[in-house]
Amino acid sequence: MDGGSVTFKGTVNGLTIILKEEENFESILEQIEKKIAAAGKFFKGASLVVKYRGKELTKHEEKKIYDLMVNKSGAEIKSLEKDTEEPAKVQNNPPAQRINKLEIKKFYHFKGIEEGVSKFYRGTVRSGQLVSFDGNLVIIGDVNPGAEVVATGNVIVMGSLRGMVHAGADGNKEAIVVAFNLQPMQLRIADVITRSPDEKGGRNPYIPELAFVKDDMVYIERFLPQYK
Amino acid sequence: MGEVIVITSGKGGVGKTTTTANLGTGLALQGKKVVLIDTDIGLRNLDVVMGLENRIVYDLVDVVEGSCRIKQALIKDKRYEGLYLLPAAQTRDKSSVNPEQMIKLCDELREEFDYIIVDCPAGIEQGFKNAIAGANRAIVVTTPEVSAVRDADRIVGLLEANELRNPRLIVNRVRIDMVKRGDMMTIDDIIDILAIDLIGVVPDDEKIVVSTNRGEPAVNDSKSLAGQAYRNITKRIMGENVPIMDLETDDGLMFKIKRLFGLKTT
Repeated sequence: MDGGSVTFKGTVNGLTIILKEEENFESILEQIEKKIAAAGKFFKGASLVVKYRGKELTKHEEKKIYDLMVNKSGAEIKSLEKDTEEPAKVQNNPPAQRINKLEIKKFYHFKGIEEGVSKFYRGTVRSGQLVSFDGNLVIIGDVNPGAEVVATGNVIVMGSLRGMVHAGADGNKEAIVVAFNLQPMQLRIADVITRSPDEKGGRNPYIPELAFVKDDMVYIERFLPQYK
Repeated sequence: MGEVIVITSGKGGVGKTTTTANLGTGLALQGKKVVLIDTDIGLRNLDVVMGLENRIVYDLVDVVEGSCRIKQALIKDKRYEGLYLLPAAQTRDKSSVNPEQMIKLCDELREEFDYIIVDCPAGIEQGFKNAIAGANRAIVVTTPEVSAVRDADRIVGLLEANELRNPRLIVNRVRIDMVKRGDMMTIDDIIDILAIDLIGVVPDDEKIVVSTNRGEPAVNDSKSLAGQAYRNITKRIMGENVPIMDLETDDGLMFKIKRLFGLKTT
């Protein structure tokens, strides 16, 4: 007889005893006693709601286990009954939730603009790639056309930003976008969307710039004094 | 009720997207209401060729998933009245859409538009199946190369297997000087193999490269030979009977100069 026919499991509100269905009652009783003995003073003074699962027990058998536990464990056993709750279904890992189109939340949104959780992404974000994060996002590299960078906080690009960028994606209009070379295809902050001008060129390349929202308009300004 | 026309080829790089952009623009110039659908999810290009890349907010996948209404995703062209683009998603893959969803989408668009032109991705997998699902006409694009013709032949077979009878053929990037020298397949050679009706021949034209890079379809460029070819194809799609452009007469610089001054050539 192995010891595997009885398993004790702690739960939020007490103890669940899992009984092997094919085991006879006598040996189950024996094993429970052994287990309690092995636990030593563990149960002493505790107040437990005990449930059992697996083998069907008669009222008489239930009572026997109850008495045994009261006598041997030193705990206050409030009740002993069959566990009717369905065991929690094992979650089939759902496909990672895409958060590229984060819902604009009216009342709650990410507030760590001044200081808050940040992610550092190292490398070029290429066309078709999406980097998103619930927090501030720092890209150490370029963001190419066709790539998407989405964050609920600020977006900082240590390189050229030529793709689509969305800062404050869940609604924070305080969020900013900063890049060493700010030429985004489309720039969104919270629910404000702007796009690049249709005529190409004409801009001085490689000026660090900062984009922010004021009165539902996106403003872009240089932030290093020597460039002013 | 509008018509759904799929532009397909099998082989990549033969000019499906350019053809889609030019035919769509051409039809819009004729006063039709046209929507272009890019089904090349993950490798979208049509928005770039149309110069509408920076306007994309919602895309095809958002529409079929129901995250937005069709109207929200349609991008109105910046130059031509009555021309709309439904862009593909870039950060997803072909399996994000299935043929049933495409059929439903095309049926809805049919109510509203005269022509729905579907730009098909290269290949014969999921993307191709999606693109042809809702179509009731097909145009096969090929170039005068053995490999492109081989793939076009495969595509014609697949179209027929999917109840898309009688596809039309566009032979793209024809270089008449090479054909004359016997270095390139002739149009007749190609039709001989594919045995489908020709709807147009588009000459190889440097202007196409310029126009696709600028995001302005060449069809509206009156100086462009390819633009002229696309204008003719547009008319044929609308049911007019336009003769295939005679590329043979174009022989050299002197001819062009003479034509420019309106001199009669012998």
